[in-house]
Amino acid sequence: MGALPADWGVPELTDANRPWFTSGALAVQECASCSTLIHPPEEVCHACGAMSFGTRVLEPRGTVHSYTVVHYAANRALADAVPYTVVLVSLDDAPHVRVIGNLDGPAHIGMAVVPYWQERTADDGTVVLLPQWRPAEHE
Amino acid sequence: MHGRAVVVGVGESRYYKRGEATESEFQLACIAIRNAVDDAGLTMREVDGVVSYMERNEPVRLSAALGMGDLAFTAQTFGGGGNGAGAAVTLADAAISAGYARCVVAFRSLAQGQFGRYGQSGRSRRSRGAGAFTVPYGIQTPAQICAMQTQRFMHEHGVTQDSLAEVVLASYAHAQRNPRAIRFGTPLTRDEYHASRWIAEPLHLYDCCPENDGAAAIVVTTPERARELPCAPVAIVAGAHGLEHRDGAGAFNEPGFPTAHHRHVGQQLWDRAGVKPGDIPVAQLYENFTGPVLMALSEMGFCEPGELNDFVADGNLQWPNGRLPINTSGGNLGEAYIHGFGNVVEAVRQVRGESTCQVSGVELSLSVSGPGYAPGSAVLFGKV
Repeated sequence: MGALPADWGVPELTDANRPWFTSGALAVQECASCSTLIHPPEEVCHACGAMSFGTRVLEPRGTVHSYTVVHYAANRALADAVPYTVVLVSLDDAPHVRVIGNLDGPAHIGMAVVPYWQERTADDGTVVLLPQWRPAEHE
Repeated sequence: MHGRAVVVGVGESRYYKRGEATESEFQLACIAIRNAVDDAGLTMREVDGVVSYMERNEPVRLSAALGMGDLAFTAQTFGGGGNGAGAAVTLADAAISAGYARCVVAFRSLAQGQFGRYGQSGRSRRSRGAGAFTVPYGIQTPAQICAMQTQRFMHEHGVTQDSLAEVVLASYAHAQRNPRAIRFGTPLTRDEYHASRWIAEPLHLYDCCPENDGAAAIVVTTPERARELPCAPVAIVAGAHGLEHRDGAGAFNEPGFPTAHHRHVGQQLWDRAGVKPGDIPVAQLYENFTGPVLMALSEMGFCEPGELNDFVADGNLQWPNGRLPINTSGGNLGEAYIHGFGNVVEAVRQVRGESTCQVSGVELSLSVSGPGYAPGSAVLFGKV
C-alpha cells in the first residue's frame, strides 16, 4: 500500500495549478484581490470575480476528513497497487481546503497527517511533485 | 400546483447484462422509444420533441430512423451523470408547457458492452481540471468518488453498514417480482451482502450499480391530446433541478461535502408541488451506490441524517409493508442500470397501477436522480 506507481499518470500543468504541483509546498491559489483561498484552483474568484491570483503557502499539517481503501483496480495498470488508501485531507491552516492524497497504512477520520512530495515525470520530461501524506506521529 | 404536461407512454428495451445485448445502443434506443410511443397509442409522426441527458444517440439520427415528425424541440441537460434523468423530464414539461412542442420523448440508452464500462477507467497519462487533483492518486471512478462521500457521511451521522445493506436488499427483493429485472430469480441475503468483496471501502460489490445494456423512454404530451388517448395520463406534478453555490467546486471541495446535491432540489420540489415528504407513499431513488441513496433520502427531507438507521431498518424500504418502499422495480441494482431512467419509468408505473410491486392508492410518486453528482434533479408524478 501507499503511493501509486511512479509511472502512473500526472496532472497536466496549467498556470493555475503549477505552484501546487511543482513547488514542493502546500501552495494554495489565493485571489490577488480579496485573498480568498481557492482549491482546486479556478480561473475566476468565486468570492469577488477577480481573475488574477497568487499563492499562499500553508503549514504542512492536515487532518483526515475522509478516506477510502480501493480494492478494485479500475485500470489494469493499478492491479498490483491495490489495495491502496486514498485520504481526503483538510488542511489545518484552512480546513475548508481539502486535498486528496495517498497514505501508506491504515487511515481513520480525524487522523493527524503531514505531507511529503512524490516525484513523477510526465512524457515530455516535466517533473511534478505530488503531495502525499503520512501519519504525523512518524515525524 | 400541477405541471401542465402529462406522461402518456412508457417503454423499454429488453435489459441485458453488459455485453450481452444482441442490439446496438442505437437500436436499443429505437426499441425503447417505439415501445413508449406504442404504449401511448400515438404514431411516431406525432413526436416533435426529444430530450435526454449525457446521451450519445442524437435526435438528428433517431428522428430519421424512427420516422418522427418535424422536430420542434431537442435538448439535453448539463452535468455528467444519471443526475439528469429527472431534469430531462422537466425539460419535456417545459417544452410542452411553453408550447414549443406537443409530443416529447424523454429517454436514455446505455450499452456499456458497446461503449465502455463506467466502472473502469482509461490510463490517462495526463489528467485535467479537477481530475488533476484526484486521478494521479487513483480516484477516477464513480465508486471511488462515492466511497469517499459515503465514508464521511457514515462517520458524521453514525450510519451503519447494515443501513447501506437495506437499500440493496430492497432492490433485490423487488427484482424478484419483476420479470424484466436482470436479478429476477437471483435473491440476495444480508449475509451475502456483508460477505461480498470490497470495491472501495465502505462500498461492497453489492453497494455498486451493475454495468448493463438497455434503453428506457417515456412520452410526454399536452392534457388535451392525452384525453384522446387510451391510457390514463400521469401528471408531472413538479420537477426540480439544480445545485447550490460552490457545489461544483471539484475534488471534494464543495462546502456541503458530503452531499447528494439534493438539499436545494428537495426544497424546490416540495415548494412547487405544495406537498411534503410525508405525503409520498413510494419513491425511486437512483442507486449509483447505496451511500448516496441514504444521503438523498435525508436531503429530500424524509428524515434527519441521524435518523436514517431507524428509518430504513427492518425492511422499511421494502414493499409491501415498509414505511417507504423504494426502487420497486428492482431499481438500478436489481432491474437494470440504464443510467437511472428505469427509475423514472417505474415512478410513472406506480401512478398507473402497473408496478410489479404496486403500492395501493398511489396519488404521488417520486423519482430522485443521480445523488452525489451536481446538479441533482427530482421529479414528482401524480394522478391527473
